[in-house]
Amino acid sequence: MRGIADKTGRRRAAGWLAATVALLAVPGLSQERFRRVPPVPDPRQELRLPAIETATLTNGLTVAAATRPGSRLVTVQLVILAGESHSPERTPGVAALTARMIGRGTKLLSAEEVESMIESLGAEFWVSVEMDYTVLSVEVLEENLDRALLALRFMVLDPQFVDKEVNTVKRVLSYELRDREKDPSFIGRRQLLRTLFKGHPYQVSGYGWDVLKNVTSRDIANFYGRFYRPNNAAFVITGGLDLAGAVRKANQYFGAWVRQPVDRPIPPPPKPNDRERVCFVNMPTLQEAFVFVGNLAMPMTSPDYFPFLVLNQVLGGTMGSRLFMNLRESKQYAYDASSEAQFFHTSGVFWARAVVLPERIYPAVQEIVREMRILAAEKAVTSEIEQAKSFLVGGFPRKFESPEDFALILSQVVALGLGDQHWNRAPESLMLVNTEKVLETAQRYFPAPPVVIVVGNGAWGVEVLKDFNLVEIYDINGNLTMTVRKGVER
Amino acid sequence: MTIKTRILIPLASLAVSLYVAMAAPLPQAPVKAGPPELYRLRNGLRVVLAEDASLPLVSVVVAYGAGTVRERSGEEGLAYLMENLMFQGSENVSPLQHINFIQKVGGAFNANTTFDKAVFYETLPSNQLALALWLESDRMKSLTTNPFIFARKREELLMEHRRRLATEPYLESFAIFDNLLYPDYAYGHPLIERGDELMTLTEEDLTAFHDAYYVPNNAVLVVVGSIQAARARELVARYFETIPPGPAVPPLPPPRFSQDGEAVMTMREALLPYPGFHFGYRFYPLQTGDKYTLKILEYVLLHGGQSRLNQRLLRKDRTAYYLSGMMEDRGGVPALRVFVTNNNAVMAERCQKALADEIDRLRRDLVPEQELNRAKNLFKRDYYKTRSTFVDRALTLADAAFAGAPVDAGDAELDPYMKVAASSLMTLVNRLCSPRNRAVLNLGAR
Repeated sequence: MRGIADKTGRRRAAGWLAATVALLAVPGLSQERFRRVPPVPDPRQELRLPAIETATLTNGLTVAAATRPGSRLVTVQLVILAGESHSPERTPGVAALTARMIGRGTKLLSAEEVESMIESLGAEFWVSVEMDYTVLSVEVLEENLDRALLALRFMVLDPQFVDKEVNTVKRVLSYELRDREKDPSFIGRRQLLRTLFKGHPYQVSGYGWDVLKNVTSRDIANFYGRFYRPNNAAFVITGGLDLAGAVRKANQYFGAWVRQPVDRPIPPPPKPNDRERVCFVNMPTLQEAFVFVGNLAMPMTSPDYFPFLVLNQVLGGTMGSRLFMNLRESKQYAYDASSEAQFFHTSGVFWARAVVLPERIYPAVQEIVREMRILAAEKAVTSEIEQAKSFLVGGFPRKFESPEDFALILSQVVALGLGDQHWNRAPESLMLVNTEKVLETAQRYFPAPPVVIVVGNGAWGVEVLKDFNLVEIYDINGNLTMTVRKGVER
Repeated sequence: MTIKTRILIPLASLAVSLYVAMAAPLPQAPVKAGPPELYRLRNGLRVVLAEDASLPLVSVVVAYGAGTVRERSGEEGLAYLMENLMFQGSENVSPLQHINFIQKVGGAFNANTTFDKAVFYETLPSNQLALALWLESDRMKSLTTNPFIFARKREELLMEHRRRLATEPYLESFAIFDNLLYPDYAYGHPLIERGDELMTLTEEDLTAFHDAYYVPNNAVLVVVGSIQAARARELVARYFETIPPGPAVPPLPPPRFSQDGEAVMTMREALLPYPGFHFGYRFYPLQTGDKYTLKILEYVLLHGGQSRLNQRLLRKDRTAYYLSGMMEDRGGVPALRVFVTNNNAVMAERCQKALADEIDRLRRDLVPEQELNRAKNLFKRDYYKTRSTFVDRALTLADAAFAGAPVDAGDAELDPYMKVAASSLMTLVNRLCSPRNRAVLNLGAR
C-alpha cells in the first residue's frame, strides 16, 4: 500500500496540514513570497586557477606545472608538438599510429609487461592526437609517481615498433574508426574538414580506416625519429608538485633524452573557401538527414576568438539561440539545431548543424545561411549578447573540474602557446565582448560562401537535392561517385 | 579545442543579469575544503554540506527514495515517468523553465533513476546556489502537471524508448537479465521494459507517487562547492524547511529469492548481430566485510587490460568479441554482471565455459599478492577519480546519506578495501558462487 504512515508520521503530517490550512486561509499567503520569483544571486566569485609555471631543461624539454593542492592524483603529460597535420600526405594517420604504439613494447619490456607495470601502480595511460600536437598522459596515485615516471620514460624514450604490435594497433584503430563511421555527425564533420582543407596539411586528419593499411613500422619509426624529441616536447604536470619539483622529476627521468634538430613545419593559414559547395555523403541506414553548414574560422590566438565564441553562442549555442528558435520552434524543420567550432594552430572551423527530414534539407540550409547573414548584417540586441556571455563565463570553470580535463586544457595552452588569456583571464576576455565586436566578427566570417555537407540516405533519390544548383555525391570513404545538377545526375 | 553545446528544448525569457548581479555584500573568503556536515531539517530532509573552494562552482543533488522498487505491479515505468515530469513545471517554474534557468547561468544538469532512488543534480556558478535551491524546492513542494503535458511526455518517452530498442539490439536483454538475476518483482523489474507499460499510467498515479515519495522525509539534499556553510544552511532552511513532510515512508522490503538451482534462459532474437550471453552471480547472504572483498573481486576480474576476464576471454582464448561487466547492489544484495558477445555460437559456448573456469580458478587458487595489489591500486585510483568533481562527490555523499553510512569518513573509508586478503577472496567465492546464486541468459540461436 502506498504511503503507509506510522503514528509519529501521521501526527507530524497532521501538524503540517494544520499549518498549511491556516496559511491558505489568508488571501495572498498561499505560499511564501520568496518562492514566487528566482532569487538574486550572491556576488560572483572569481575564477582563480593555479598559475602555469614553466622552465626549460638543457635538452630543450619544456617543463610546465600547475599545482592542484590536495589532489591525490597526479597527471603527467608529455606533449609532442606534432599532431595529425604532420602526418605525411601519403600516409595519413601515421601520427595516431605512432602515438598508439607508445606503450606497445620497449627495448626491454613487452607490451604486456608495460601494461602490467602501469596497472600495478594504479595508473592509467592514454593518448590524444590533436591536429597540431599529441598528448601522452599518465594519471597515477601520488605515492606511485616516481615509478609511473620511470615507466613513461621507458615507453617514450625506448619504444619498439615491431610489426606484430603495429598490426595489432592498426587493427584496433581500424575497428575504432569503423565504429565512429557509424555516427553521421562524425562523417559530416570529417567531410567538412576534407572539403575546407583540401590541399592543406589539415586535410590529412580526415583519413578513414582504409588508409591505415598503408602505414608501415618504418613510417612510424620515421615519424617518431623526426618529432619525438625533447626540444619538440613539453613535460606538463598537475598535482601537488610545484615547478621546482616538476623540474627535478623531468630532469631525473627525461634529462637524458637526446636533443636533435627538428624540422616542424607550421601549417600556413588555409585559403578561404571561394564558392558555395554542397556535398552529399551516402549513409544507407539513415532515416533523417544530418545537415552541416560550415566554413573556416580563426585560430585561438586571434583577437576574433572570444567575440566568435559569443557569436557562435548566439547563433546556435543554447536552446534560446537563433538556429534553434528558427529551425525547431518557428519552422519546425528540425528536432535539434546547433552550432559548434573547433580551433587549430593556424586556423579554425565552425559549422551549424541540424537533423531534418529529407524533404527539409534545402529549406533548412537556406534558413541556416539566412541566420548567419542576418548576424553579419545587423547588430544583435544587447540582452542576447549578455545572455551568451553569461552562459560562457558561468560554464567556464566546469571545464577544469576533473583532473584529466584540467590537464588536457593545460596541455593545449602550453602546446599552442596560448597564455593566461585562455586560462585565468578567459572570463574577463569574454566579458569584454560587446555587440559591436560580435557584429564585426560576424562580418568577417559569415558572409563567405559556405560548405554544405548533407549526410543522408542515397535511397531517397536525387529528388531531395533538386533545389541545389550542384551537388557532389560521395561515398562514406570520401570518394566522389557522381555530381547532380538541379536534381539531374551527371 | 572543440566547443560543443547541445540544445534540446525551447527557451523562455529570463533577465540576463543573473550571472553578473553584484548587489549583495561580498562574502568572506570560503575555506578551501572541509569535511561534510550532515544534519536534518524538521520536516525530515537530510542535508549534507561540503565546502570546497577550489573552483567557483557549486553542485546540488536532491535524491529521493523513489526508484522502481516503489512501483507496484501495474505501475511499471512510473518512477521513470516521474523523473522526467520533474522537468515539466512546478508552482512557480513553468514547463521547461527549470532547464532554462540553469543553462542561462552556464550550469549543467542531469537526473537518473535506479532501483531505489531518483536523483536530480546540477552544477552552477557558486553564486547561484540560491537559484538551484529555489528550483529544487519548488518542484519538491509543488509539482504541477496537466493532461497535455502528461500525455506528451509519456508519448515522447515511449517513442524515445522504441528508437533505442530499434538501434540497441541488446537493450531488451538487459531488462530480461535483471529479472533473472533478481527474481524478486520489486528489485528485478527494469526502469522501462517495452515502453507500452507507460501508456497505462494515469496522472493520478503520478500525483500519488509524488505525494508519497517525493517528500522531504524521503529525500537527501547535498550541496558541494565553493560555499560558506552558514550561508548555505540559511538558504537551505529558507527554501526547504517549510515544505511539509509527507506520510512516513515504509522501509524497503528485503529482497526475497526462491531460486533452487542455476537460472538459465535463452533469448532468441533475429535482430541480434552476434550471439552472446549475460552471466551473473548474486551474492547472498552476506557476512561482515564481504562488500569490500566483492569490490576487489570486481577489479581482479574486470578492470584493466590485465584483469582476468579481459586476459582470458579477449586476449588468450579470443572467444569474446566484446566484454563488459560490473558489480551492482540492489537492496543490499550485490551481484556480479558480465555481458559478452561472440563471433558465433560455438565461441559463445566456449567463452561461457572459460568464464566459469575462471571462477573455479578463484575457488582453487589464491590470487597472487601482486595481482591483488594491482586490483587494489586501480580501485584506489578510481575511488579518488569518482570524487574528483563536485557533482561526483555530491552524488557519492547522497548515496552514503541514503545508506546511513558516515559522510565524513574521508580516506579511512579506503582502509577495509586495502586490507582485503587473498584468502578472503577465495573463501567468499567458495561460499557464494554457487549454482543457486547464478543466472545465465543466452542470446541468439545456440
